[in-house]
Amino acid sequence: MTITTNPPSSPARRARVPGRLRIRTMPGRIRALAAVAALAVLVVVLVTTLTVQDARDGLRVIGHDAGPQVVATGDLYFALSDMDAQLADALLIGGDRGLADRRAAALRTYEQRRSEANRALLQGSRLAGTDATEQRTAQEMLDALGRYERLAGQALQTDEQSNHAAGPPPAAVTALYRQATDLMKLDVLPKAYNLTLDNGTKVRRTYEAKRSAVLNGRIWVVLTGLLLIVVLAGVQWYFIRRFRRLVNPFLALATVGTLVLVVVSVALLSSEAGRLRTAKEDGFDSVLALSRARAISNSAHADEARYLLDPGRADTYEQVYLDKSLAIMYVPAGNLDKYYTLVDEKIGGSDFLGFFGTEAHHVTLPGQQEALRKVLSGYQKVQANDRNIRQLATGGDRRGALSAKLNAGTGDFGDYDTALVSLKNLHGRAFDKAISAGDHGLRGWNIVLPGAAVLLIILILAGVRPRLSEYR
Amino acid sequence: MRLRRIGLGHALALTLLAAAGCGVAGGATPSVSGKDHLVIGVSKDQPGLGFRDGYGAYKGFDVDVARDIAKRLGAKHVTFKPLASGQREGALRAGDVDMVVASYSITQQRKTQVVFGGPYYVAHQDILVRGTDTTVRNVRDLRGKRLCQVAGSVSWQRVTQERKIQAQLVPASTYGQCLDDLTSGTVDAISTDDLILAGFAAQRGNQVRFVNAPFSDEKYGVGLRPGDIGGCEDVNKAITEMYQDGTAATLLKRWFGSTGLNVTTTVPQFEGCG
Repeated sequence: MTITTNPPSSPARRARVPGRLRIRTMPGRIRALAAVAALAVLVVVLVTTLTVQDARDGLRVIGHDAGPQVVATGDLYFALSDMDAQLADALLIGGDRGLADRRAAALRTYEQRRSEANRALLQGSRLAGTDATEQRTAQEMLDALGRYERLAGQALQTDEQSNHAAGPPPAAVTALYRQATDLMKLDVLPKAYNLTLDNGTKVRRTYEAKRSAVLNGRIWVVLTGLLLIVVLAGVQWYFIRRFRRLVNPFLALATVGTLVLVVVSVALLSSEAGRLRTAKEDGFDSVLALSRARAISNSAHADEARYLLDPGRADTYEQVYLDKSLAIMYVPAGNLDKYYTLVDEKIGGSDFLGFFGTEAHHVTLPGQQEALRKVLSGYQKVQANDRNIRQLATGGDRRGALSAKLNAGTGDFGDYDTALVSLKNLHGRAFDKAISAGDHGLRGWNIVLPGAAVLLIILILAGVRPRLSEYR
Repeated sequence: MRLRRIGLGHALALTLLAAAGCGVAGGATPSVSGKDHLVIGVSKDQPGLGFRDGYGAYKGFDVDVARDIAKRLGAKHVTFKPLASGQREGALRAGDVDMVVASYSITQQRKTQVVFGGPYYVAHQDILVRGTDTTVRNVRDLRGKRLCQVAGSVSWQRVTQERKIQAQLVPASTYGQCLDDLTSGTVDAISTDDLILAGFAAQRGNQVRFVNAPFSDEKYGVGLRPGDIGGCEDVNKAITEMYQDGTAATLLKRWFGSTGLNVTTTVPQFEGCG
């Protein structure tokens, strides 16, 4: 909204100026009054058009640009992160005959994620829009992913040649895997995650700017509408006094028309502001938080596999696992044992922070509570499996740890991820609904407003015409 | 009469606009964005990261990063303020400093107190022992050893609490003192971020040994006042640019190039502001 203090005052000033300057002829005065009224109509319609445009811009950025990109970049992160997780699983299984099926499945999923990630990156413009920096980021990711795939291929090949038993592979394999996973973790994944965050920033800023522009614009619509009504009433009053006429029906109709226009516009703008808020607060915010929770969950799950795969780095993988878990669901725990205990204790309530805390403290949609409960109980199972896996591993039963990870660990994580996605989709639907209601509400307004302007001006002209003709 | 009414409407509209404007800018929390003068909390005793030289000037990687971020945020003047590890949250919350850049690890616990931009770098905790010591190969070998403990630092907690390794803690005020204690034999090991230890190792040559068994990711964040979401987003943008235009690589090379440490020159995964 760029309307400043000028428009409402200028017609008023003009109303006085011709009154003083062109007082000599009556037709001149009538024409001047008609011009002032017509100008006031244009001001009302212009202010309304600009405010409707603000609402339209808000819906476009939030609903059709940055909003969907959050989902797209979130999916990209998941695909990339899961590639590395599946690679770790395959390398852990190695040449173990009993687990050959499991290894083949991991490699199939790896391939599937690889093509998903490549597809998303090749459609870089969909992710990056027209922003040059973001385009470059998408290109750099594509290059880095190429290097990753080469390293992953070498690691798998070396692993196959070594034909090792299930568990940590030989040093040569680990060295190659470290290069691959470092590339993924330090280069590729941060770029994907930061793109998601960038789009979140874009949505937040657009929302704050456009929503307040719509709310302020609404006030200007009322003020300029009132001004028009005052002008029309003034002309009416002047005609009654001057020409001793009864109420002029055309001017009366124009006044009623203005009133209707203002009321309808204000109602529309209020509901558009409300839809923007619903889309942002009940839809987008949760979609963003849950996309991030899913990204972090998947990478924590992969850290569990890496913990088993690479004993040399097990300490770091355990520390980052705890840090990521705390980001997903924060309870004040200084180490993993304490964390498992506190998760069991608090998961039934909502006395926790992190992504799940935000979600649990903002329950607004039907079905959200149940969907959230599923996510939380899934998360509790994932953590219980993690505890079991680590206990087996530290107790020396690496084979047991691996099979716990590949069986319950993988299955329960899949269920948890499904629950998380359906909670995210619940918010996604609320978002889509609010956005399409917003789009629908604005439909036709680029015709309605000029149409209203033309109609009001015709009514004003029709109203003054008989008075002018008296002087012919 | 008509003019007066309009004037009144005007005044009303302007008041409403002003009120709405304040709400958007986050009137309650002053942001680092668009401030002419920034007060930045740094450390004064971490070689290579943040230290005060003989002339009282602040130097180091953190200090250069802070200056660069401040410039990109549009600040014209920067004042550095020394902060001990334990003072950082308090100084931000009390408004004594606008921003903290002081090897300040982002932890989920600290995130409940302050907002973090970045990380601008991810360091790793490692171990430094005497040159003659061959018994320590990873963090678990610290069991029973005398470990230097600096107050307000998370480093010793990562060993004794997070990893539950029964090391014997010997208090010291700074990591500089730890280094003297290590060479004189009062402590057996120092464990903190590789960026600091590598600097020590370069300083003391064969007297000490850098174990090179990293066991954590330390996400160095830019601490901001609670609620400064807009400032946090701008800090992240500044860090992204810092990596994209090569400034980060130059600074890392300047401060850690001679240590032989393998530094990462791609932009880290941000923590997120909300």
